[in-house]
Amino acid sequence: MTLEADHAEINALREEPGSSIGTSALRHVVINFFNLIILLPLAWVLIMSVKSLPDAMRGNFWPRRFDFTHYGFVFQHIATLPVNLFNSIYVTTATVLITTACAVLAGYALVHIKPLGSGLVVTALLISLYFPVRVVSIISIYETQHWLGLINNTSGLILPYITLQLAISILIMRSMFQLVPHEMFESARIDGAGHWRALWEIGLPMVRNGLVVIFIVNFVAAWGEYLLCLTLVDDEAKRTMPVVLAAAQGGQGQWAWPNLAAVYVIVVTPGIIAFTLAQRLFFKGLMEGALKG
Amino acid sequence: MAQAIVNDEVEVGARVAGGLAPVLRKGMNEWLFLIPALVFFIGYQVWPIIRVLWMSFTNFQLLSDKPTQWVGFDNYVQALHDPLMWASLGRAALFTLMFLPGTIILPLLLAILVDRVGNQRLATVYRVILLIPAVIPSTLIFVLWKWMYNYQSGPINHLLVNTFGLFTVQNAPQWLGGTSLTLPAIAIMEVWWGLGYHTIFFIAGLAAISKDLPDAARIDGASEWQVFWHITRPQLAPIMMILVVLRFGSAMAVIDEYLIFGGFNRASPTYTWTIFMYDQAFKTGLWRQGYGASIGMIGAVAMMFVMAGLIWIFRPKG
Repeated sequence: MTLEADHAEINALREEPGSSIGTSALRHVVINFFNLIILLPLAWVLIMSVKSLPDAMRGNFWPRRFDFTHYGFVFQHIATLPVNLFNSIYVTTATVLITTACAVLAGYALVHIKPLGSGLVVTALLISLYFPVRVVSIISIYETQHWLGLINNTSGLILPYITLQLAISILIMRSMFQLVPHEMFESARIDGAGHWRALWEIGLPMVRNGLVVIFIVNFVAAWGEYLLCLTLVDDEAKRTMPVVLAAAQGGQGQWAWPNLAAVYVIVVTPGIIAFTLAQRLFFKGLMEGALKG
Repeated sequence: MAQAIVNDEVEVGARVAGGLAPVLRKGMNEWLFLIPALVFFIGYQVWPIIRVLWMSFTNFQLLSDKPTQWVGFDNYVQALHDPLMWASLGRAALFTLMFLPGTIILPLLLAILVDRVGNQRLATVYRVILLIPAVIPSTLIFVLWKWMYNYQSGPINHLLVNTFGLFTVQNAPQWLGGTSLTLPAIAIMEVWWGLGYHTIFFIAGLAAISKDLPDAARIDGASEWQVFWHITRPQLAPIMMILVVLRFGSAMAVIDEYLIFGGFNRASPTYTWTIFMYDQAFKTGLWRQGYGASIGMIGAVAMMFVMAGLIWIFRPKG
């Protein structure tokens, strides 16, 4: 066998290792089987949201008659829905922006300023990932919020929400900034720029993909948070959308299945669309260093 | 040595001479970027844990007017004598055992398959589909599956009863609400939820492995299984360790799912240490948060011990 033939064979294997067309087809069948399992429940809700009421009762996957009025209905007839939706958007936006700002500043500082005690901070952040902080801290967070007068207050949720993914966000930003050579910031600062300008003009564009990752991570955490909102907020009108949805008993009156499904689609779709649009940056960010964090 | 001391003295002298302010200001400037993050991290992560630890040694009741008293280890002694404490820890462990193998092995298998897809466009489509559940917020996953498992009108029972005819309307499985099926049902949901995310994790790990070694082994006649076991698996070990430890941690400390699917029935398999803690701290009497805190601490410490053990088992060898 010549050297070239050897290479050709290796290349062929690299294209589709396991070689033959049969195993390749089988591979795609297995992958798509799992894809189907992932997509089916979501397809079920989507179709449920446009089923006519009798079809919803019948339970067959494909309805006999479509009915697209549920989306309008839920906004008109479920009194707290617009408020809950607004609460979710407000709390999530604030959380994502503040956490991202904190994480970028801290990530930059931990790599390029390195004040005394940075090591301790990183250790504490890492430990917090392994300790069940979210569960155990709820007792004391209630007390803190009580003391601050933030019980039953939608805005008050933002404070604990910021820390939901703060540790992992800082660690992700830290590993992103480790990819940026120290000299880039040094030279900027010799030219007279302070840390602020060095970070804003040189740092941020370099860690763009990491920003996408922590945007999504924090969006998912805040948009779907349950425990804190359930515990700290009593009034249905002050709660966020997912907590209200989780409490809704499906099947009756305003919460008939198609209505419930319509609300569900409204709440879930923005995240999926945003992710699909940003997926290239997201995966780059993951590969560049987020997974190392 | 002596020189160092002299230097130190000179420096201290200089500090005293120039006042403490410049030194402090330099320190403050260096810490400035860390302060916003640390305020939140300390205020809502570090402080609560310290505070809960303190509470666990007192008879603190949030709604009570009586002054809080230090009770030493009384709460811990009471909790450890309570059969419910042990049962609730056992239930959490049982759930972890149901959940952990599926959430590691299936994604690993899927990652190996997706990693070999040569067509770039198709590979991207696969990755996007896989990650969709990961960008659906937790509570919405639970709400979705609450409907899926619904006894009367959920599609799962519809399939089992109407399509496959395995059950009748009378004896269809009651998935949720604290039956013996509730923990497996939650485990299936969690595996579904993590399937894509963990697969992406493993794909990232596989991408870092050179393809030359497996290729050479195949040419030498190694079977796919041998390639996996002797080449791929050892190289994925670090990623696997992180996943096992993190997922063990999240599985042992599940709470939202149990609140939504189980409730506060003490006999329910979903009444784990997290629910026990929550029940005592926010439901029972005048909110017995001191006792609840000790339950939380026992659960957390037990978890940390097992996690340390897991890290030791998976430690890099040689």
